[in-house]
Amino acid sequence: MNLSRTRHTLAPWARIAGLTVCALLTLGPVVWTVSTSLRTPAESFDLPPKIIPTSPTVESYRGVFEQIDVWLLALNSTLVTALIAVGQMITAGLAGYAFARLEFRFKKPLFALVLATMMVPLQVTIVPVFLVLKSMGLTDTLLGLIVPAFPTAFGTFLMRQYFLGMPKDLGEAAMLDGCGPWRIFRSVYAPLAAPGLAIVGVLAFNYHWNEFFRPLILETSGQNYTLPLGLVSLQGNLGTGSISVVLAGVVLSMIPAVAVFVVGQRPLREGITSAGVNR
Amino acid sequence: MTNTQIQAVRPRPATPAEVAPRPSARDRGSRLLAALFLAPTIVGIVVFTVVPIAGSIVLSLFHWNVIDDPSFAGAANYREVFGDSTVLVSFRNTLVFMVFAVALQLLIALVLALAVNGRMPVWLRSVFRSAFFFPLVLSAASISVVMKYLFNQDFGVVNWLLGLVGIAPVPWLTSENGAMTAVVLVYVWQQFGFSFLLFVGGLNNIPKEIHEAASLDGATGLRKHLTVTLPLLSPTLLVASVVGIINALQVFEQPYVLTNGGPGDSTRTVVMFIYESAFEQLRFGEASAVGVLLFVLIMAVTALQFRLSRRFVHYQ
Amino acid sequence: MTDSHLTRRTLLRYGAYGAGAAALAGTAASWDRLTGADIPGRDDDSLVVATLGPAYGPEAIRTLTDGFKELHPDIKLRINAVQAVDWSDFFAKILTQIAAGTAPDLVYVATEGVQLFAQRLGVALDKWVKRDAAELREYFADVHPSLVESMMYEGSLYQLPVEFNAADMYLNHQVLGRAGASFPAADWTRDDFTALLRDMKKSSGSQFTPYFWTNRLWGGVVPWLFANGTNLLSESKAPGGAWLWDDFYPAAERRGRGGGFRWTTPQATDARVEEAYDYLASLIQEDLCTRPEGGNGQNLVGVFSTGRVGVTPAGGFWAGGLHLAGMKATDYDVQYFPRWRTQRMQFGAAGYALLRTSKRQEEAWEFIKYAARKDTLMRLFKTNQTTPARRSMLTADRYRETGPNHWQVFYDTLDKFPDTGPIPAPPQVAEVEQVLLKHTGTALASRRAVAPALRRMQSDLEKAMERDV
Repeated sequence: MNLSRTRHTLAPWARIAGLTVCALLTLGPVVWTVSTSLRTPAESFDLPPKIIPTSPTVESYRGVFEQIDVWLLALNSTLVTALIAVGQMITAGLAGYAFARLEFRFKKPLFALVLATMMVPLQVTIVPVFLVLKSMGLTDTLLGLIVPAFPTAFGTFLMRQYFLGMPKDLGEAAMLDGCGPWRIFRSVYAPLAAPGLAIVGVLAFNYHWNEFFRPLILETSGQNYTLPLGLVSLQGNLGTGSISVVLAGVVLSMIPAVAVFVVGQRPLREGITSAGVNR
Repeated sequence: MTNTQIQAVRPRPATPAEVAPRPSARDRGSRLLAALFLAPTIVGIVVFTVVPIAGSIVLSLFHWNVIDDPSFAGAANYREVFGDSTVLVSFRNTLVFMVFAVALQLLIALVLALAVNGRMPVWLRSVFRSAFFFPLVLSAASISVVMKYLFNQDFGVVNWLLGLVGIAPVPWLTSENGAMTAVVLVYVWQQFGFSFLLFVGGLNNIPKEIHEAASLDGATGLRKHLTVTLPLLSPTLLVASVVGIINALQVFEQPYVLTNGGPGDSTRTVVMFIYESAFEQLRFGEASAVGVLLFVLIMAVTALQFRLSRRFVHYQ
Repeated sequence: MTDSHLTRRTLLRYGAYGAGAAALAGTAASWDRLTGADIPGRDDDSLVVATLGPAYGPEAIRTLTDGFKELHPDIKLRINAVQAVDWSDFFAKILTQIAAGTAPDLVYVATEGVQLFAQRLGVALDKWVKRDAAELREYFADVHPSLVESMMYEGSLYQLPVEFNAADMYLNHQVLGRAGASFPAADWTRDDFTALLRDMKKSSGSQFTPYFWTNRLWGGVVPWLFANGTNLLSESKAPGGAWLWDDFYPAAERRGRGGGFRWTTPQATDARVEEAYDYLASLIQEDLCTRPEGGNGQNLVGVFSTGRVGVTPAGGFWAGGLHLAGMKATDYDVQYFPRWRTQRMQFGAAGYALLRTSKRQEEAWEFIKYAARKDTLMRLFKTNQTTPARRSMLTADRYRETGPNHWQVFYDTLDKFPDTGPIPAPPQVAEVEQVLLKHTGTALASRRAVAPALRRMQSDLEKAMERDV
């Protein structure tokens, strides 16, 4: 907003038109997915694609509910994702604060260690992780999915940025008032951290709600499957499942992530705005 | 004004307390609190990442097919890996993918962030922001299945759209260049929203006065962006590119679902190679060796970025 | 700081407390769910069977479990439907469990993995088959010896096949009608096939390709190699197996049977292999055929059922798939693969493999027998999601609703072309498959690309086959 007046040689309408085209391209595949899930399989591949189905049908959605236990899968997914999100908010909030505002030895190497964990692909460590979980008796439990996901490198990084972005004088003033480190954290900085934590939470939700590989390897009992695992059976033997039903499953699994996104959008935006930046 | 970005990427100037540690009650309190606060993260990382990585490094020195006991191999796995043309090709593919995907992702995100930042009704801005962020909430695997339909050479919507403007059908998934392009496009489509939000945040935090001053000096349009906005945004750019590169070097789902690495080896990435050699071909030692190499590569690229950033990143 | 700010902050704080309390309460309430403690009989000494999820939905699992319980109330059974998208995901899961010492007792394995499991992980079923011969006589009488032979490795039997799929040609009636072509005869040739594709192309607009196929081991380029009388790896039969043939099959059917296939020397540069590739490349050049996409063939059902493709190779599993996609029995039909030098066809079969690590081998054998029973398969394969291994199950009744009209083709392939055999799947199958798919992709870029790509395929295959799995 602040730069609008002289910034563009482009006319505003051209800019908005351009943005609209980009937005359509971005949402196009999603719209196609939703509309295909509402069409009969025979119409799935019509070109030009019928974005508004001629005779919309929820038959595919019924199919999803008939073929898999959507409620149990959704419960598992919700438990796993919500607890991971909360857990990550706690670990990232605390660790981020420590890296930003507390003094201790080995700060740099420890921070480097945290960041380095972002650089290891899951596929490399999954077998050792499975062995660790086995020694804890956590294989084939939802906890086995949740606990290893508590530490979050990116979340810690984000929260560190976020705390660094807060004015230092607040803490210094409190210190002069005789507050100890804990009081400074609790009364001064922690209350300001909500938007930052919201980003960590929403990102955690997005990532883990859609996670496939870890649940595939770690969960064995059908009762412990999460939604993405359950949706696989819709694909049918050798990929012969109805495409409409497969996409209906995809759309259903999209709903909670979208809901979280809509609800969390504002804190998310505020959080990202202040996390990545100079103040 | 504190420079938070700079601290993200290189050590802050040491405070007096760090230079000469003075054991005081407050410092001890601070250290105790730090230990408490870090414990969950560090313990978790050690148990679920450091130990497994150490395991992988050890494993990279063994031949292991899961079924029989591991046998010591020394550097044999590494020798094998360096002599394997598929490994080299997959490293090359990954780097090519990374360069194009990250560049495109940052460029699109930046242009869109600048455009969205311009004058428009508040609700419209909100709609655009939501739209651009939306693909991020979807699962990469499911969306790749959808994209496979859309990119089909003969029946896909993409080629149909191109046909409307008179472009002949592109063999997206079945030619070497087409496949890499499709993988990059699908990946960028899903990922650019994150950089976009970072940039929107960064732009919002550029103080108005600076732009007003620049405008008074007669800077307009593109020139102003290049000379004023971009340098001020460079810390955000650095964060976005570091995270973007780390993620791009580990790309797996998109090529796995869209092309299965083909045609030929043209879209086989390092992580795909790791997955295939370990879980399909029972060569866990070799897979671990490649994993270690990838880890080293990512660290090296990230370190290089931070080095270069000293020259290009401007802090206020 | 203003009052409103304070209130907002206080509100936020109470909100946070509330959320925290709710989270704690929720966690406590769902503790059993989180630890899996609410799953009955989880850590007991159940017999554990791993099946492929997409092939076995929750209802199939229930059917399978309930039926077994009726028969063997004393054996506790747990079926894990691994929700893998493909064979390699499935394998990743099983391997991780083996590595951790928590392997299942039985694993559902298709032709692709038969020899790998047999060589490294499996237990031969010979002693039980001999012991329970009387009980199994009915089974073997109902199952074609080619299917049984495909489950043998070096003279021993490792699985009882329960399903199989040969690569037959599916044809879309609507497209045939448009081209004014009649349904091909059972003994149609490769040239008939080419002519048909040309007719289809001529009579259809854009966004239509006569022939569509997927680049994979089963049903990709291999059927053409078989039809041209060759194979990717030289093929021979292991000695042995007479113990089974002599006991269960009449003389006519046991002629030429051995102890299972051996796939050894790579022969990608064989003239006939090159010829097959060259033929496919020429189809692509003429726009009669798509370049093959890699993957599990998910696109296929959709494009075929909507008439964007006229002909495609698939197995009996497609009858159910096309029905789901809204095709009626009269919309399509199925015929044998066209004859080239031979009309030999390829198939893949599947059954349960018993792992060496199992401590419940007797119980596992009971399950293997149970899973191959006719009543079990009848309950399991209701929707024609595959071809049952038992001939007596292929009836007009079964295919009345889904089609195709020529459903006999599915099983008769085995009789009519007695040399029909499994896709080449030595213990090194994963690497062989990868090499095949990789170089098939490049070979078919143009006709000139064929020979150099096959030379590279040959050298990669040689490397793969040298490797000790």
